[in-house]
Amino acid sequence: MGFRQYRALVRKDLLSELRTRETVVAMFLFVVLAMVVFHYAFTATGGGALSFYTGGMLWVVFVFGALLGLNRSFAHEKDEGVLDGLLLCPVDRVTIFLAKMTGNLIFLGLIQVVAVPVFALFFAPHGMLAHLAALLVLIALADLGIAALGTLLATIAMQTRARDLLLPIVFLPLVIPLVIAAASATGALLSGGAGAPGVLGRLLFLLVYDGVFLVLAYGTYDVAIGE
Amino acid sequence: MTGAAQISAVGLGKAFGRREVLHDVSFTVRRGGFLALFGPNGAGKTTTLRLVATLLRPSSGSVTLAGRDPRDEPAAVRRAIGFLSHNPLLYRDLTAQENLRFYADMYGVAEPAARIDELLDRVELRHRRHDVVATLSRGMVQRLAIARALLHRPAVLLLDEPHAGLDAHAAALLDGLLAEIRDEHTFVMATHDVRRGLELADQVLVLDGGRVALQRDGRLEPGDLADVYPEHAGLGARA
Amino acid sequence: MESAATVAAGPVSEQTAPAPATATTTAILAAAGVLLAAALVVGFWVAPTDASTLGFSQKIFYFHAPIAETALLAFGVAFVAALLYLRRGDARYDRLGVAAVRLGLLFSLLVMVTGVIWGRAAWGVWWAWEPRLTTFLIACLLYGGYFVLRGAVEDESRRATYAALFAIIAFVDVPITFFATRFLPEGLHPVVLGPAGSGMDARDLVAFLAGLAGMTLLFIGLLRLELGIEALREELRELKFHLGR
Repeated sequence: MGFRQYRALVRKDLLSELRTRETVVAMFLFVVLAMVVFHYAFTATGGGALSFYTGGMLWVVFVFGALLGLNRSFAHEKDEGVLDGLLLCPVDRVTIFLAKMTGNLIFLGLIQVVAVPVFALFFAPHGMLAHLAALLVLIALADLGIAALGTLLATIAMQTRARDLLLPIVFLPLVIPLVIAAASATGALLSGGAGAPGVLGRLLFLLVYDGVFLVLAYGTYDVAIGE
Repeated sequence: MTGAAQISAVGLGKAFGRREVLHDVSFTVRRGGFLALFGPNGAGKTTTLRLVATLLRPSSGSVTLAGRDPRDEPAAVRRAIGFLSHNPLLYRDLTAQENLRFYADMYGVAEPAARIDELLDRVELRHRRHDVVATLSRGMVQRLAIARALLHRPAVLLLDEPHAGLDAHAAALLDGLLAEIRDEHTFVMATHDVRRGLELADQVLVLDGGRVALQRDGRLEPGDLADVYPEHAGLGARA
Repeated sequence: MESAATVAAGPVSEQTAPAPATATTTAILAAAGVLLAAALVVGFWVAPTDASTLGFSQKIFYFHAPIAETALLAFGVAFVAALLYLRRGDARYDRLGVAAVRLGLLFSLLVMVTGVIWGRAAWGVWWAWEPRLTTFLIACLLYGGYFVLRGAVEDESRRATYAALFAIIAFVDVPITFFATRFLPEGLHPVVLGPAGSGMDARDLVAFLAGLAGMTLLFIGLLRLELGIEALREELRELKFHLGR
C-alpha cells in the first residue's frame, strides 16, 4: 500500500507539472540566465580567470535553481488548500516526504540534463567528457542532499507567512557544506579524474551528509508537515 | 437505534497557544447515527470536526473512532473517515478522473476503476470526467468533492457546512445523496441550516464560545433550540 | 472586573515567578566575573609572551577559544531543549531554547569579533576564510535564520515546534560544516586561529581554564537572567490576555 501511495503522489506531482509546466521551465531559464550573468559579471572585470571558477559556478547555479523548484514543491497543496486532503489520507507522513523528495529530485535532474551540456558549451571546461561518469555520480549524490534537505525545509517554510523568503534563508546556510564538498570535488575531478586526491573523501562526505538529512527528515517529518 | 459507539469524544479541548477554542466537549455518536452540530461562527464547530478528522491534535481529552485512537492507529482511523467541507480538496490542474484516481490510490481502494465509474455516475459527472477541475462549475466541483469523500466507503462522514455556496441543483443532489446513504454511514454535520440539520439528525450538539451549550439525543424541533437560536422560537411542529 | 481580577490572580499564584536576578544568578555572575578577571590578569601579566610569530596577540586565545566553546555549549543546550520540547510540548523548553540560541548567537558574534582582532594583530588581515571562523560565520547566519523563522509563524505552538526542529537541524549541521571547511584548498589561507605549536605552559593553561570556566559561568548566569526575564514577560502577556478578554 505504501508503494501504491508513493507512486500516486509522485505521479500527481509530475502530472500537475506537466499540465502547467510552470516550475521546470522557470528553473531551466533561471539556470541558463544565471550562467550568462556569471559569465559577464566575472569576465567584465577583465580577467580571463573565469575558468578558475567554473567548477564552483555550476553548483551555485544548481543550488539557486533548486531553490526555485523547492519553493514550488508544496505550492499546489498550499495555494489551493489541498494539504488537508493529503493529511486526511491514511498515509505515512514519511511516504509523503519521500514522494515530494522524489519529485524535487526529478525536476532537478531534468534541469541538469539540459543545463550541464549548456554549461559545457558556454565554458568548455577541460576534462568534462573524460570524467563524465564520475561527475554524474557526484551530481547524483549532491542532488540527493539538496532534495532531502530542501524538501524538509520547504515543508516547514511553506506553512509560515514569509514562505518564499524564508526558504532561502534557512536553506542556504545548511547547504554550504554540500556546496563546498561538491564544488571542490568538481574542480578536482575535472583536473585529475576520479582518482584525484580528495575526490573519494568528498564523495563519502556527501554520502554522509545525505544520510544525516534523510534520517533527520525521517525522524521529524510527522511534526514538520502538520499535527 | 442502539449500537456500539462509533465516535466518542471525551473532554475534548483545543488551544492554539494561549487562545482556547474548545473546552471540555464530550459527545458520543452511535453507529449509524447522525449528529447535527450547531452554533454561531467561531463557536468551534469546524475545530471539533477537524479534531475528529485527525487534522488537529487535541490539547486535552481524546476522540476515538470505534474505540480506536488516532494517536495510536492513525492510518486505520483515517481510512474510516470521509471529510467534506466548502474546500473541495481537489487539484485544479488535474481532471476529475485523475483526482479520484489519486485519492483511490491513497486510500487503497480495491478495484478503483469500477468504484470511480460508480461514483461519477452517482454525482452525475461522468460526462465531465476528463475535464480539468479548474474548468468545472462550483456546483460540479462540490459534487466531485462528494464523490471524493465517499470513494473509500468510510464508516464516518464528517460534513462541515457542505451546502454552503451550492447552487440549487447541487444542493438537491447532495440532499438526495445524503438521504440515500443515510443508513450506510455515521454522520457528523456542522451547519447553520437549522431546519435541514434537524431533518437529518437524531442527535444535536450546540456549541457556543467553544463550550457545549446544548446537547440532546433524539429528534428535535427548531423550537427546541429557541434558547440558542431565538429566531426559531416561533417554529413549532414542522410542516 | 471582579472576574477578570480573579482570573488574573490564578496564573500568578500558580507560578512562583522568579525575579530576574535571584541570589543564585548573582552569585554565578559574580563568580564568572572573578574567573574572567583572573584569566585576564594571569594571561596578560603572568603568562609568558608566546614564542611563535603570534607573539602578544596570541593572548586573545584565552578569550577567543572559551567564547567559541561556550557558543557551542549554548547551541547544544538549545538542541537538547528542542528535543525535550518536541517530546513533552512544555513551553518552558521553547523559552529555554530561544534564550540559549540568543546567547549562542551573541557568543558567536564575539568569536568573530575576537577572531577578526586576532587576525588583524597577528597576520594583518581583517578576515580569513579559515575553518573555525567560517564555521562560526555560518552558525551566525544559521541561527539568525532561526529568529527569522520564529518571526514568520503566528501560531505560538507551531512557532515553538518549527523553531525546535530548526534548532535540531542547525546543531547537527555545525560539525558537518566544520568538517566541510577542511575540504577547502589550504594554500591560500595560512591563518590558523588556534594555540601556537609550541604547546601550553602551565600558566597559559591556568589562564585558559580560568577563561573557560568564567565564560561558561557567564553563559549560565546570563541564561538564568534571560529565562527570568522571559518568565516575567510571559506573565505579563498572560495578565494582558486575561484582562483583555
